[in-house]
Amino acid sequence: MPSSEIVNQIGLSHYLVLSAVLFMMGFLGVLLRRNVLVMMMCIELMLNAVNLAFIAFSKFSGRIDGQIMVFFVMTIAAAEAAVGLAIIVSIFKRFREVNIRFFEHLKG
Amino acid sequence: MGQDIFEITINAVKLIVIFLLMVQAVPILAWVERRGSAFIQNRLGPNRVGPLGLMQLLADAVKFLNKEDFLPRKAVRMLFYTAPVYALIPGVIAYCAIPLGTPLQIEAFEMAGKMWGPYTFAMQGYEIGVGIVFILGVSSLAAYTILMAGWGSGNKYSLMGALRASAQIISYELALGLSIVGVIMLYGTFNLTDMVLAQQGPMTFGFMGNQVVVPWLPNWGLFYQPLGFILFFAATFAESIRLPFDLAEGEAELVAGFHTEYGGFKMLMFFIGEYAHMMIAAGLVTTFFFGGYLVPGFTPAEIREFVAQNIASTPNGASAVTSVIHLLAYFVKFAFFLWFFIHVRWTLPRFRYDQLMDLGWKTMLPWALFNTILTAVVIYVAHNFA
Amino acid sequence: MTADAFIFWFLSLVAVMSGLSVVMMANPIYSALSLAMTMVSLAALFATMGAYFIAGVQVIVYAGAVMVLFVIVLMLFDLREETKAFTRGQISGAIKLAMVGFLAGLVVFVLTQGVKLMAAPDVVDAAKLPEDSSKALGLILFNRHVFGFEALGVLLLVVAVGTVALARSKGGTHAKQ
Repeated sequence: MPSSEIVNQIGLSHYLVLSAVLFMMGFLGVLLRRNVLVMMMCIELMLNAVNLAFIAFSKFSGRIDGQIMVFFVMTIAAAEAAVGLAIIVSIFKRFREVNIRFFEHLKG
Repeated sequence: MGQDIFEITINAVKLIVIFLLMVQAVPILAWVERRGSAFIQNRLGPNRVGPLGLMQLLADAVKFLNKEDFLPRKAVRMLFYTAPVYALIPGVIAYCAIPLGTPLQIEAFEMAGKMWGPYTFAMQGYEIGVGIVFILGVSSLAAYTILMAGWGSGNKYSLMGALRASAQIISYELALGLSIVGVIMLYGTFNLTDMVLAQQGPMTFGFMGNQVVVPWLPNWGLFYQPLGFILFFAATFAESIRLPFDLAEGEAELVAGFHTEYGGFKMLMFFIGEYAHMMIAAGLVTTFFFGGYLVPGFTPAEIREFVAQNIASTPNGASAVTSVIHLLAYFVKFAFFLWFFIHVRWTLPRFRYDQLMDLGWKTMLPWALFNTILTAVVIYVAHNFA
Repeated sequence: MTADAFIFWFLSLVAVMSGLSVVMMANPIYSALSLAMTMVSLAALFATMGAYFIAGVQVIVYAGAVMVLFVIVLMLFDLREETKAFTRGQISGAIKLAMVGFLAGLVVFVLTQGVKLMAAPDVVDAAKLPEDSSKALGLILFNRHVFGFEALGVLLLVVAVGTVALARSKGGTHAKQ
């Protein structure tokens, strides 16, 4: 352990680094995975990472507006997930395929 | 959570005791169910093993433990084995947040040469500030056990049963949450202990500047939110997939739904999970609408006075006896609602799946919204026109 | 290590591990279940930061409804095996990984070494955040942000109508034949 203070004193940077790591993992997932549903899940992971950053800022600055922002982000993410899933289900019913490489070319 | 070793130990012991109580209540409930259903159906039920057939469930448990532990060929191993274990977790976590009695207050005492400070042990696993939000959230995680069991079985009937059951659960969560909003508005808090304490004494409310006291009725939430009570109670039937909402495991249609491929002790875990959800439902109904652990018509302070004068004179003893009295009051109401669950199961016929979903979305949701608006209007009128 | 620090490290370990499982697992159902685990651990982190209502709402909405919806849709699709889970082409995959890693490293470097984020040292100012966060949240939501709240209501209505309309597409249960 490099310094006892980094381990014991949890500050804003800790939460922001965690949020950045989760965000980058979601980003990586969207780039690397081929299944449309898993890509949507990685987008949800990115949104959750952003929520964490908002709450951390809210706590360390003493203002509650961060939590309001999280409220809005959560609602909109849920609505977007619902619409996205409906679209994916429609596409699956038509093409029986969830591999994104199949939809690369704008045809049909 | 306290800082002392003593307090931490007592809290850990409390959590273990509540878990064990929940698991041990299941054989008793199953006995009540089997004997009760037998009497309703004009037969006898288990009456050979032990007095009145009480040892029947013990024999059943031994039988289940001795069964073969199999895995269907097309099953997904990880999910198949995880699902029954996960069945218990949301139920127990949610139940620990329900208050069971008045807090036990212990004065400062001396032990092993050190002064142990005055302690207050709440009669619940842990006290949560946002009690009802926590309980709703954790019990909504119960949908995963059904999905894991249904998919992990590798069987089309299990999958269909699991999808139906989980769709039913997430539909009725809405009606459940909305029917509670009236209660939350009425008591102005999420905390379950505060809600229980607001229901003490005779019925008192302020209406347009006058204080109305009805001495022959207890101050229960039932009289303020009758529609909320009906909606909430019906929604909890659907949440624990009990009849009349149990098409997802209907024997005639889907063999046994999502737990078709399970046998032996794994299936018993699912039943324990279902009874755990029933217990949460009964506990929540008593907490919101029937005064929780309060004895109807008396406040905890009055009972403590009575106990301190007549039964136990030391403050520790008085606190302990008061807690026990309130615990008994809670258990009486709790047992009544559990019996009611069991009675309804063997009385009403089952809903068809589309009737079930229609009821949840097209009937309960609008009535819950109406209840919310009505409560808001009544509270506004009662407080602002003096 | 103090108890608060231990809780933070444990929860962040759980969150990072399950986040990694979301990306790396081949079977999409395991990804979905890992994402639910991530959301629950994030809700626990919110609770340690004093945002109790938001933590409860995170479990109810995200882990309890949205992820259940994902899992239901995945199970309905009944995909056989995920033969090609990851993007084709080793080189392009490696380049993407390197780029994201570089970006992550940059961000973490900036966060820890570069910018001083708050004027005061970044220790929690506990006195400032209100005790009863739910009440304060409600007051601010309905007083200052009431327009956003109403807009959210309209958005949810539009989404609900749109989703039902999409579900009536060809082959659906309520479609006109």
